[in-house]
Amino acid sequence: MSYCSGNEKINTRFYLSVLVLALLIFLLNNGIFGQDLIVGHNKEAVKHRGPESKESMIGERMFYGLVKLENGRLNCEGCHSLATTPKVNWNPSAYDLSVWMEGKTTSDLKKAFDSPSSDLMETSHKNAKLNDDESKKIMAYLVKVKENGQVFHKDFPIKLLLFFIFGLLMALALVDLIFTKKIKYKVVHVLVLIIGLAFHMQMAMVEATNLGRTKDYAPDQPIKFSHKVHAGDNKIDCKYCHTGVFDSKSAGIPSANLCINCHNVVRNGRNSGKYEITKIHDAIDTKKPIEWIRVHKLPDHVYFNHAQHVVAGKVECATCHGKVETMDIMAQYSDLSMGWCVNCHRQTKVNFEGNDYYKSYVKLHDDLKSGKIKQVTVEQVGGLDCMKCHY
Amino acid sequence: MKKYWSSLEEFENKPIQQFDETAEIREKNEILEFLQDEVSNKSSSRRDFLKFCGFSFATAAVLSSCKNPVNKAIPYLLKPEDITPGKATYYASTFYDGRDYGSILVKVRDGRPIKIEGNELSSISKGVASARIQASVLSLYDGANRLTAPLKEGKSTKWEDADKEIRSQLESISSSGEKTVLLTSSIISPSTKKLIEEFTAKYKNISHIVYDSISFSALLEANKLSFGKEVIPSYHFDKAGIIVGFNADFLGTWISPTEFSRQYADVRDVNKLRDKITRHIQFESTLTITGSNADKRYSIRPSEEGVNLINLYNELAGKAGKPALNKANGVPDIKAVADELWAKKGNALVVSGTNDVYIQLIVNSINNLLDSYTSTIDFSNSFQLFQGNDKKVNEFITDFAKGTFSAILMFNVNPAYDHPMAATFTEGIKKAKLSISFAGSQDETSMLCKYVLPTDHYLESWDDAMPKEGLFSLAQPAINKLFDTRSFQDTLIKWTGKSGDYHQYIKNYWSQNIFPKQNKIGLFEQFWDLTLQAGVLELGSASPSSSFKDDGLQSAGDSIIASSRKVQSSLPELFMYESLALGNGSNANNPWLQELPDPVSKAVWDNYAAVSPKYAAEQGLTDGDLIKIKDIEVPVLLQPGQAYGVLAVALGYGRTAAGKVGNKVGVNVFPFIVVKEGNTQYFTTGIQITKTAKKYDIARTQIHHSMEGRPIVRETKLSEYLKNPEAGNELHAEYEKNKGTLYPAVEFAGHWWAMAIDLNKCIGCNACVIGCQAENNIPVIGKDEMMKKRSMHWIRIDRYYSEDAENPEVVFQPLMCQHCDNAPCENVCPVAATTHSSEGLNQMAYNRCIGTKYCINNCPYKVRRFNWFRYADNKAFDYGTDTDLGKMVLNPDVVVRERGVVEKCSFCVQRIQDNKLKAKLEGRELKDGDIMTACMQACSSKAIVFGDKNDPNSDVSKAMQNPRNYHILEELHTLPSVGYLTKVRNQD
Repeated sequence: MSYCSGNEKINTRFYLSVLVLALLIFLLNNGIFGQDLIVGHNKEAVKHRGPESKESMIGERMFYGLVKLENGRLNCEGCHSLATTPKVNWNPSAYDLSVWMEGKTTSDLKKAFDSPSSDLMETSHKNAKLNDDESKKIMAYLVKVKENGQVFHKDFPIKLLLFFIFGLLMALALVDLIFTKKIKYKVVHVLVLIIGLAFHMQMAMVEATNLGRTKDYAPDQPIKFSHKVHAGDNKIDCKYCHTGVFDSKSAGIPSANLCINCHNVVRNGRNSGKYEITKIHDAIDTKKPIEWIRVHKLPDHVYFNHAQHVVAGKVECATCHGKVETMDIMAQYSDLSMGWCVNCHRQTKVNFEGNDYYKSYVKLHDDLKSGKIKQVTVEQVGGLDCMKCHY
Repeated sequence: MKKYWSSLEEFENKPIQQFDETAEIREKNEILEFLQDEVSNKSSSRRDFLKFCGFSFATAAVLSSCKNPVNKAIPYLLKPEDITPGKATYYASTFYDGRDYGSILVKVRDGRPIKIEGNELSSISKGVASARIQASVLSLYDGANRLTAPLKEGKSTKWEDADKEIRSQLESISSSGEKTVLLTSSIISPSTKKLIEEFTAKYKNISHIVYDSISFSALLEANKLSFGKEVIPSYHFDKAGIIVGFNADFLGTWISPTEFSRQYADVRDVNKLRDKITRHIQFESTLTITGSNADKRYSIRPSEEGVNLINLYNELAGKAGKPALNKANGVPDIKAVADELWAKKGNALVVSGTNDVYIQLIVNSINNLLDSYTSTIDFSNSFQLFQGNDKKVNEFITDFAKGTFSAILMFNVNPAYDHPMAATFTEGIKKAKLSISFAGSQDETSMLCKYVLPTDHYLESWDDAMPKEGLFSLAQPAINKLFDTRSFQDTLIKWTGKSGDYHQYIKNYWSQNIFPKQNKIGLFEQFWDLTLQAGVLELGSASPSSSFKDDGLQSAGDSIIASSRKVQSSLPELFMYESLALGNGSNANNPWLQELPDPVSKAVWDNYAAVSPKYAAEQGLTDGDLIKIKDIEVPVLLQPGQAYGVLAVALGYGRTAAGKVGNKVGVNVFPFIVVKEGNTQYFTTGIQITKTAKKYDIARTQIHHSMEGRPIVRETKLSEYLKNPEAGNELHAEYEKNKGTLYPAVEFAGHWWAMAIDLNKCIGCNACVIGCQAENNIPVIGKDEMMKKRSMHWIRIDRYYSEDAENPEVVFQPLMCQHCDNAPCENVCPVAATTHSSEGLNQMAYNRCIGTKYCINNCPYKVRRFNWFRYADNKAFDYGTDTDLGKMVLNPDVVVRERGVVEKCSFCVQRIQDNKLKAKLEGRELKDGDIMTACMQACSSKAIVFGDKNDPNSDVSKAMQNPRNYHILEELHTLPSVGYLTKVRNQD
């Protein structure tokens, strides 16, 4: 009995399906759609959209500044945008407002409208007044916004479009080559096919290597915390908040009580006014910790220790995290891939003379003295061993 | 050379049949044939192509919808000062469950306890914790079994309601003059004792009865008769030149085994003591680890022990010029033992584990003749464990069944399961008006109670303890309460109408009673903080004068002879012992312990009747036969070294209400315990056994990973060793002479990690196995998988027999990955998932492994494990880590392995890296001993040494230079990093 017979056919079928599968994965993968990583989109709410009342429809128009208020006209959407924006929008989004509105009354809305928590709010709200009826309608609209859930900004899927265009061109070239034969010079077909395939291959390569990597990931956070304001403008040292770097594997996200050290006094933010800072105080008052969205995450099978790199290795934070002091929205700077780690370990010099720990590396010290080696890199002290990071 | 064998089949050169491999192959072939039919008979068509396309589309759609998940990072709201996320903190605490005591360190990571280690500062624990104590952390997260709220008649209720109802009932019972009983295990907490006094003072007519399921009451009684003190003295095995044990498994289960095994290892250190190492003779009825380590071992029936002791006494009395007891007949000659003992008079020690006053009286007299009470036995610092008095307990149960007591309160006891008169007790509890059980989870007794009040896990609550007179320790919570539980003591405080909690109560007690006993620290708060940090306070107690009386010795001897005459020697005897893993059965729901192989038989997930091969042959019994003893059916296991005509069955199995893991595992033999002269006796004579036609499979790990009879253990005798330290290790010298290679020697620039294991010190206690399990996230796989030889333990202790099958010599050999510098596994891996590190470690990158298992096949040491079913995260293996709560016990620094990868010992690389980093951060060199692997840390006898072979002064380098050192299968030129030191038996 042989288990090999019939394998050739299976192989053809198998390879074909794998090919199709592979193409489709790249096709449908996030990167091609150019879409942001989705954060808690409330799909259920979209599905069960309630009947649109007339009230909320008028409210919506008021929100967009299409319907005049009794006292002045105001385009709310101009500041309180409906979808997330690629650049930071310091003002609370329409969705934020709708969350805030829950369980509140029209007088609450009027009161909040009239008591500005920032300069920007003061200048933009001062020319308008809300009456009871208008507040009610805007609230009705905001309820709808809440039901629809957070709307996310999407980039135009240019890559996908290109992918399809080349696919179409190749298909046309093939059809013409075999059946219609309209174009005289076959070199055109071949060229189209070669260029198309090359483009597809290149794209597949890029997408495949980026599978599971999240470089430039910059999710919206529950509080519009700006590293630019804190680390850049106010020049607060990274280690003031991320205290774990000294002795722990995790740098740590500061606990709310650490924020309060300063924000007990600083209650008015230069960009967002009181609105964002109040969230910290609310967290403390309601005893609900702030649920940040994690930006940097290594896979579970990687062990990484901040103290090792920052204290023992004296690596600057910016080497891996980039110019954080310029980021209003925290984004992942490096791709955090294994190749990236290994490259750094190959090039980085170890503080060999300065740390007594390395005294036991007698042979390397001898080689240094005799000039056999000029410097000791992380690689030479075992920085490329599998079990330095995977265990 | 001796012939070593690991199982009787191997001894008799029979094939080992446990798991039917032919069936497996058949099954495999069927699958292959099915697949072949599928592929060969059809031609591929356009339809097929479209089908495959459709399938691919669907799969692609599913796969592409797997977006990168959004992870939240939730910091503390108010960060506690002493917790840094990502960094482990150690808290000193105390383990005490009514049976075992341990001063411990709790490793807490991000607010959750993940590992238990021993406290170095305690003279009892000395930095180690037994397998049972280490495994206790797992039961903290046993969400399926722990009680989450108080129960009233099986339904959950509120604490306020339960308190109100119970208090009013207690008051009405006490005011009407009816009697109440408080039944507890031995209480060693001084604060709790005082609290119980206050409680019994408030509610009248409460009697407090102490009940130990494994009882030492005969020892207490005998000491009262001999010395007027009802205590268990301190034993100093480390001062003994000769130890003679009679059914006392002092290395495994007797009184304080971790303490004793450390002392024992100290006096068996042949490198230091050379010819002064202690001699150990053991008389026992079943092969225990203590007997396995003895230099000379006698197999005796339990009923013969007394007669042996009488003869021993008479021999010694003759030498001392004292009157002899009436002579007993028909037992082996004991003169040689007496001679040896007498030669070491003044530093000899005789112990017996039998709960019989007469036997203990004779042992006391023997120790007295040998002057042991001035050297090896010490009444200062006497044990406070095991205060139970069997007579009082038995009397109480008889009365209880008559309805004498209206109310019963129980804490830490389970008499409905583990008392020989469980049926009588059950009768009584049905008559009681009020029955309350304080228990962490449901058990056989709490099921019968009206109220079950859930207690905290010991890692969630405050406590104190005095395990020995003058030695105090504190227990502190290492985690917030997981469920709506309340400690027994907090409940008593509530019911006595006091304010405050037990924490405050302990503090008050200590400030009034213990703080004044010391004069080092003047401020109480400072004293409290320092003691809490240290975990222990060892003040010691003055040695009280004690005069020995041997009244009643003659009559004790006569009684022993009389009862031994009654024994029908033609019928077998049943010997019941505490198993090393499960003890009295209260840990039965702990999967780590259920899967911990018995140190000698290597059986897991079962108890069994151990029968000597000769007796079995005579009775027509074979391995796995089910036999019937009274109303229970128990499988036979042929156990070399088992006494002829004795069946030994472990206690602690056959639970019916332990939880889903522990229920119906093995059989319960507590009902076979007999009461003799008021004391529970753990053997019974003249039993009838009937063989049934049924067979039962016992999972045993020793026949896994067989090393095919190569010279793996090496040993010698002391006399040979003194002449030539290389004795028994000649093969190593030969290897060293002939070794050579064409390749250049590998150099390790910095560290070169290595391990040395002293076979003379390893006692086979299995603590390292649990230590490794906790440290390295080793999954539990259950009995079925164990039967298929899929054991996942990264470290195993191999047990080899040699010589006589009826009374073999035993060697224990811990075996883990040998981290060969010329590793056979590394060069067969097709994907380079296993490679060598620059520090001499054999690395395993799980994410690279594709599961070809070539490495497993090519490893001569059989230490690589294949993860068949993603055991750690699989609902089919519901041993804790399948639930979110159960996962809390996992060590976050070690990967939880996926299905289809090979895993193995990593030399605890996470601990190596951690300690290297500590040194780097402090800018200092690593010191020898900074890095301890989990097995080394857990080893009570310090048999395992780990360190840097590049450092010539490290312990491990010195051990490697020792003439006793050899490597397993060194002739294969695998260059293992683990060295073994030959076993030296104290024999001539």
